[in-house]
Amino acid sequence: MRYQLLQRAIPVLLLPLAGCKVVGAPSFPIAGAYFPSWMLCGIVGIAVAVGLRVLFLATDIDALLSLRLFTYVSLGTITALLFWLLAFGP
Amino acid sequence: MKKIPLSSRNPIGLALAVTCIAGATALGFYVLGKDEAYPSSDTGTVDAEVVHIASTVGGRLKTLNVHVNQAVKKGDVLYQLDPEPYTLALQQAQAGLALTQAGVEQQQRLIAVEAANADIAKNQAVRAQTNHELAARTVERLRPLASKSYIPWQQYDQAQVALHDSGITLDQSHLQAGAAKVAVGDLNSSMAARQVAEATLAQARYALRQTTVTAPADGYVASLRVIPGEVLIPSQVLFTLIANDSWFVTANMREGTLHAIHPGDCATVYSMIDRRTPIRGHVESIGWGVFSVDSAGLSRSLPIIPREMDWVHVAQRFPVRIRLEQANPQLLRLGATATVEIRHGPACE
Repeated sequence: MRYQLLQRAIPVLLLPLAGCKVVGAPSFPIAGAYFPSWMLCGIVGIAVAVGLRVLFLATDIDALLSLRLFTYVSLGTITALLFWLLAFGP
Repeated sequence: MKKIPLSSRNPIGLALAVTCIAGATALGFYVLGKDEAYPSSDTGTVDAEVVHIASTVGGRLKTLNVHVNQAVKKGDVLYQLDPEPYTLALQQAQAGLALTQAGVEQQQRLIAVEAANADIAKNQAVRAQTNHELAARTVERLRPLASKSYIPWQQYDQAQVALHDSGITLDQSHLQAGAAKVAVGDLNSSMAARQVAEATLAQARYALRQTTVTAPADGYVASLRVIPGEVLIPSQVLFTLIANDSWFVTANMREGTLHAIHPGDCATVYSMIDRRTPIRGHVESIGWGVFSVDSAGLSRSLPIIPREMDWVHVAQRFPVRIRLEQANPQLLRLGATATVEIRHGPACE
């Protein structure tokens, strides 16, 4: 039951990103310096991993997990890569 | 606060962890493949061809019709040097040509005189010939008369002397005719002198034309910092003209991705002057060589090989030249940062 919830949760969580094809160059000016797109993806991945951890703790899903470090790192990685594919990918 | 065990033997949790790790790994390889197949670079530079504007002649800058950052059209007069020295040189060359022309005419008259002299000498030779023949016939006629004493020997002797004389005169007149023929000159040297003068005149005209400098292409004036009055030596660059007809982007691409880049490939270029506007371009060529520090060395000495123990080697990058198609001129400034996506991006869809 909860496993199915999780399975549904991932695409739902990633759904808002589908409309996130970034307009413009994959390079972001911040205070006169250009930051590459992958850096943004990495930040998004870290934020999503931390957010998922908080969400799962709140919804007790965390209790189901084992190898939490690897799981959260993988989830963050998947998010970052998917974000890159959706926002900047060919 | 509920205690959460660090690692439970929960099979669902294990399966989830394995799925996530496998998914991340697979997705990672997929993204790596995509990144290699569709290379991109954020270290491109907007580039254009430039002309260093200079005159092949020197002189004082008299009028300057452009100011820095101005757009000019092909053929516009950019600046003018003081033409006076070159006008004077032109006049000198014109006078020189007139002089050599007069020389040609003088030589023509001389040749006419010499030709007439040669004719005279030839006729003289004919006259000497007939005289000689007459003297010979006289001697022939007088010989039998003299032998039979019908005429005095004195008369026969005189005829023989006259024959001898006429022979010498004939030889001399032949030599003279030959010499007079040889002496007839030709126009070669004076014609050559005239050609020299003509060439000098053409050079003077050319030099005078070079005092007016026109724009060789549409473009923008850059790095102009002088005003009229400046004295320029020949070929001294006064400013740089950035040609406006062929803008391109030079993007450095890692050698491992070059297999995915072919001349003619579409490219999406963003000039960072406005990072929201995609510019369509196409790959024109890929650089065939860059200077590598590892192989640097004097060509005539031994190779310089640094000692090293590097295990990670950074990929070499080669400049890929991407020609831009239609673009807003406001986005094109030589040296601007550009981001390049090969075969993807909004401009290629």
